[in-house]
Amino acid sequence: MIQNILHSRDLIWQLFKRDFISGYKQSFLGIFWIFIQPLAGILAWVFMNATGILNPGDVGVPYPAYVLLGSSLWGLFMSFYSSVSSSLASGSSLILQVNFPHEALVAQQMAQTIANFLINLVMILILFIIFGIRPTWIAVFFPFTLIPIFLIGSGLGMIVAVITVVVHDINRIVSMGLSFLMFLTPIVYGPGVRGELAQLVIELNPMTYLIGSARDTLLYGRIVNLEAYLLSCLLAASVFLVSWRLFFLSEHKVAEKL
Amino acid sequence: MASNTAIAVQHLSKKFSRNLRRSMYYGAVDVFKSMLSIETQTDVLRPDEFWAVNDVSFELKKGGALGVIGENGCGKSTLLRLLNGIYMPDRGMIEIEGRIGALIALGAGFHPLMTGRENIYLNGTILGLSKQELHKNFDEIIDFAEIGEFLDAPVKTYSSGMYVRLGFAIAIHAHPEILLVDEVLAVGDANFQKKCFDKLLRLREEGTSLIFVSHSMSAVERLCTECLLMKHGNPIYYGNTRECVQAYFHEISQDNLAKAPQATLVGIGDVILSNVFVYQENGEKANPNIEFGKNIIIEFKYKFLKKDSMKNQVRLGIRTFEGRDVQKMFFQESPFMDNEIYPNEKIIPLGQDGKVEIRVINPRLFPQTFRLDLAINPVNMDVALGGIANAALFNIVHPSSRQYLEYGNMTVTEFEYEVQVS
Repeated sequence: MIQNILHSRDLIWQLFKRDFISGYKQSFLGIFWIFIQPLAGILAWVFMNATGILNPGDVGVPYPAYVLLGSSLWGLFMSFYSSVSSSLASGSSLILQVNFPHEALVAQQMAQTIANFLINLVMILILFIIFGIRPTWIAVFFPFTLIPIFLIGSGLGMIVAVITVVVHDINRIVSMGLSFLMFLTPIVYGPGVRGELAQLVIELNPMTYLIGSARDTLLYGRIVNLEAYLLSCLLAASVFLVSWRLFFLSEHKVAEKL
Repeated sequence: MASNTAIAVQHLSKKFSRNLRRSMYYGAVDVFKSMLSIETQTDVLRPDEFWAVNDVSFELKKGGALGVIGENGCGKSTLLRLLNGIYMPDRGMIEIEGRIGALIALGAGFHPLMTGRENIYLNGTILGLSKQELHKNFDEIIDFAEIGEFLDAPVKTYSSGMYVRLGFAIAIHAHPEILLVDEVLAVGDANFQKKCFDKLLRLREEGTSLIFVSHSMSAVERLCTECLLMKHGNPIYYGNTRECVQAYFHEISQDNLAKAPQATLVGIGDVILSNVFVYQENGEKANPNIEFGKNIIIEFKYKFLKKDSMKNQVRLGIRTFEGRDVQKMFFQESPFMDNEIYPNEKIIPLGQDGKVEIRVINPRLFPQTFRLDLAINPVNMDVALGGIANAALFNIVHPSSRQYLEYGNMTVTEFEYEVQVS
């Protein structure tokens, strides 16, 4: 597969360029949208915090920085998931007409996701400077904490991508489930104690550790529950491996159902 | 596989499901099974499944051209997709020697907002061309596509002809050793069609192997060295192009008979027509296939339920299968005028009932399917006393297919006939 991807890097680049260019070509502000979107998000959170609409509890750092980093990590997970899960369906016309390595579609979507996230991250780091947050040396691990997020996001995505072609309902169900899952993950609120049941669910939710630890390495320079985090990483890796196998076994059967 | 073979296909089959829900279910089962590495039985049909391509075998030599013909839905496109590697076969085997290229969906992956230039690179890479190859062929591509000053305009401003031209130009310049062509010459204006066709001829001469799917029999006859006729997924003829095309026309004419338009009664019901037959002179009554150039017998019975003193007239119309009028014949009980308008009119006495036998001599109807309308009218009135629209269908057949091709719709309408009334 890796070989295939390397082989079709020209194609990936062209597809990437196509989506990138076409996304902004017919808009007045054009390429500035890349910056406007995350900026609008930041402003919304800062505003809500300043006006006291949200009371997330004490998180130790300025709240906007906390929530922004968390939510953009969640966003990274979600867009890994959604770009992979929709890759087959959205490329269906191409798949039915031309024989080309389908991995290119997935890889191109990932590239797009990563590019968007990097821009987002730059904005957040600027915000850190404004708020005077100084990451510790532990922050060098931050890029590595993104790997399990990638594994679980694209792993889920691959399963859903295959099943969606056959049973369209699955995409909606999983999307619904994931948006609910977001509220069961400490992203917009701190990890402090609340209702017993909620606490239990949060503790059992692997995303709590996958997202939380990535955020904490950058924000606080620590990982709260290393054991649970490693377990979650293991889970993410196995989800990825299983779904990878599924994806490649069924990819060709899938083409004819599109 | 022999060394000079480009494509060898053995017992190739592909099944699909008619029912969307079932197809979803089967898909889920298949994926699940392959996940657990359970062998799926792919050569058995499950309920609601059918063979879209069934047991097709052929072998194409390098530099050869195989035409694939058949009516819509006979499995031609599925076959091409199988050869192109988009579908996996359920049964059988495909061996391919050489780089394969497809003129199936021209301009696949074109983005409407991007310019022609950008789309050449995009489409070219999708088709598997490297950047260097594209650079090298760029001028040739735009030259062939004739898009001129539109090169840097978004392709959504292109006319559909320009769009297809550009797609064709890119695909052709991928220099495949085997080229799959699916009915792409039907688009574009006559000039460009000719240019594309000439290009295909030249490519074949240069050694490219072709698989050519088309409804244009003249194109197939000119381009292809061998031919495959398919029907409902089954190969029904494979071999010589000319014979294959004939077989195709034979199929069509027999199909036309089978899906004959409903015969409908016309008129006020004062006369009943029955026992209509159209057949070749000295031939069998039940056989509506008439050899080109042979005399035709049209035969029917009539019975007046009510007959007043008015003079009556038998009217006969021959139309093509599509419904275009070819010939009208009238004959009546007695002349009401000098018959300058209808010099072919015959005068015959019609009794209370009887049988009419019309012998059409030297009909000069070109090979195709015709319909026959019958009616009995009072002379010079358009209200029929009784009659049948689409009373019968018949084929004119010719041992050579050539007649069907360019002249398929042309018909010489002057012919002689004789009438007998018993």
